[in-house]
Amino acid sequence: MPMAPLLEVENLTKAFGGLVAVKSMSLAVAPGEVLGLIGPNGSGKTTLLNLIAGTIRPDGGSIRMAGEDVTRLPNHLRVRKRINRTFQLVRAPPNMPAIGTVMAAVLYGAGERVRFKDAGYEAAGWLGEMNLLTKADRRFDQLTYIEQKRVELARALATRPRVLLLDEWLSGLSPSELEGGISVVWSLAAQGIAVILVEHVMTAVRALCHRVIVMNAGLKIAEGRPETVLRDAEVIRAYLGGDDA
Amino acid sequence: MTSTETHKDARIRRTRVAAAIATLAVVVGALATVPWLVSDYGLSLMVNVMSYLVLTIAWALFSGTTQLVSLATSAFFGIGMYTVAMLIKVLPLYATFGVAIGVGAAVALVVGVLTLRIAGMFFVIFGFGLSEMIRELTVWWEINQTHTMGRYVFVDFDTTMIYEHLLGLAVLVFLTGWLLRRSRLGLALLVIGEDETVARQVGINVPFAKVTIFIVSAMFMTLTGALMAPRFGFINPNFAFNPLVSFQVVIMAFLGGLQQLWGPVLGVIPLIILSEQLQTEFPFWYSVFLGLVFMVIVYFLPRGVTGLLEDVWAALGRPLELPRGFAGPLLDAWAWLSRPISLPRGIAGAIEERWSKFMPRPTQRR
Repeated sequence: MPMAPLLEVENLTKAFGGLVAVKSMSLAVAPGEVLGLIGPNGSGKTTLLNLIAGTIRPDGGSIRMAGEDVTRLPNHLRVRKRINRTFQLVRAPPNMPAIGTVMAAVLYGAGERVRFKDAGYEAAGWLGEMNLLTKADRRFDQLTYIEQKRVELARALATRPRVLLLDEWLSGLSPSELEGGISVVWSLAAQGIAVILVEHVMTAVRALCHRVIVMNAGLKIAEGRPETVLRDAEVIRAYLGGDDA
Repeated sequence: MTSTETHKDARIRRTRVAAAIATLAVVVGALATVPWLVSDYGLSLMVNVMSYLVLTIAWALFSGTTQLVSLATSAFFGIGMYTVAMLIKVLPLYATFGVAIGVGAAVALVVGVLTLRIAGMFFVIFGFGLSEMIRELTVWWEINQTHTMGRYVFVDFDTTMIYEHLLGLAVLVFLTGWLLRRSRLGLALLVIGEDETVARQVGINVPFAKVTIFIVSAMFMTLTGALMAPRFGFINPNFAFNPLVSFQVVIMAFLGGLQQLWGPVLGVIPLIILSEQLQTEFPFWYSVFLGLVFMVIVYFLPRGVTGLLEDVWAALGRPLELPRGFAGPLLDAWAWLSRPISLPRGIAGAIEERWSKFMPRPTQRR
């Protein structure tokens, strides 16, 4: 990617008690780039996403978004700096209609200020892009798993992110759903969004990622093009014995 | 993004708003004439109803949306009442009301900032503790600093005046609730009530939203206490900061149901009438009775009386079921008893209801 990086992470460190979950991690993503994060369970991938999104605070290191230091910003202000994410276990207010969550994202996200009564129409637009318009008034907990994942993505997109963190957003899908999911992520990158994706589904990683980082025990152990890194990852798995890479 | 609302939508909406305003005007007008229509006893009953109505709707503004049960009602009610009692000799009555609101808002700000990070159950206990602490501090202050154990409030502000002011306040708190349901902040509070992590991820400043509504709610409670001060000639801290107020408000809110803005009306009226009867004739049985009402609500009316009315309404439109013999009621009873006890379900049900109001209504075209 020749473009200047949009998000730069330097020496990011986070420990939970004695366990160092992320150890001086550095990475950068450019607009329109898809960066894959892979590694065995417990290697610190989700912690790293939590740190970038602001869900938790780092012990050391820095995060810069478009040149601006956001390391100390709380979660909701990072959303307005146009960083957003989905959760590994899908999350949205369970008793609220799908459109409610997306409306809140339209009203509080980084997009232009919208009048309250217009937010519903814009939220419907985002749900429409996820092919969910007919389910807009359905309670979140009454939707299927794949629909919930799409609502969550609509919620993230409605805040107008320039950096999008997807935590296993493509896991647990049937082959045809996976194909649809991959094309959704692909189109987001084509619109210039920088995507960081934590994923166990290697088909998706191969199809989508421009670059892949392999993590183990909080450390970056490999970085490069997916075809090279995944070949190395096989070797790493053989040595380290991770159940999935 | 420009408005997608069509002219027809706009016209329908304007008609509905006009109808709502007209209804409100008629109801308020009728209520305003009450002091000239009822006996003194009737009026004092209406004053109680009106004051609890404001307290309960104000409570629902905060607790109904954020799902945090607050027992701090008596703290703010007491602050209002006791501020007026302390200042009545040095300031004009309306000025004491103003000071009371200021004190209430300031306490709500400090308490909100300090405690709204505390989760569920601890917040409930804290609210209760806050009221007791302020009461004890006031008692200490009065005994050690001013050497009084109570204050006389003699002022030219009769029961009719109190009633009319409370009515105005009730209209105000009702409108606040109505506007909140149609606002960005109201939506944010509903998201916060269900999942704070998602709320932050949507870009909502969670502590700010919670503290804001806590202050608004506290200001209404404080002013209610302040308006009630002239009703009693003599006020002491134990009377002003009576924890029963907090519990009654919670029970009234749950009894009425929170899914409709007017739900609390159905909780306040029966409980006030019953409390009048019981407190004069069997004063010791009143708390027992309140406890029973609370259990009945939790077990049988998780959505309050309004929920019951909705169920009845729905049942009237349903085809009749065939009799199921003796086993039927038994099965129903068993199903009832084995259902999980769900105190917050009332609010969750409320949120679902409320949500339908936020939905954009698509215009039908042929």
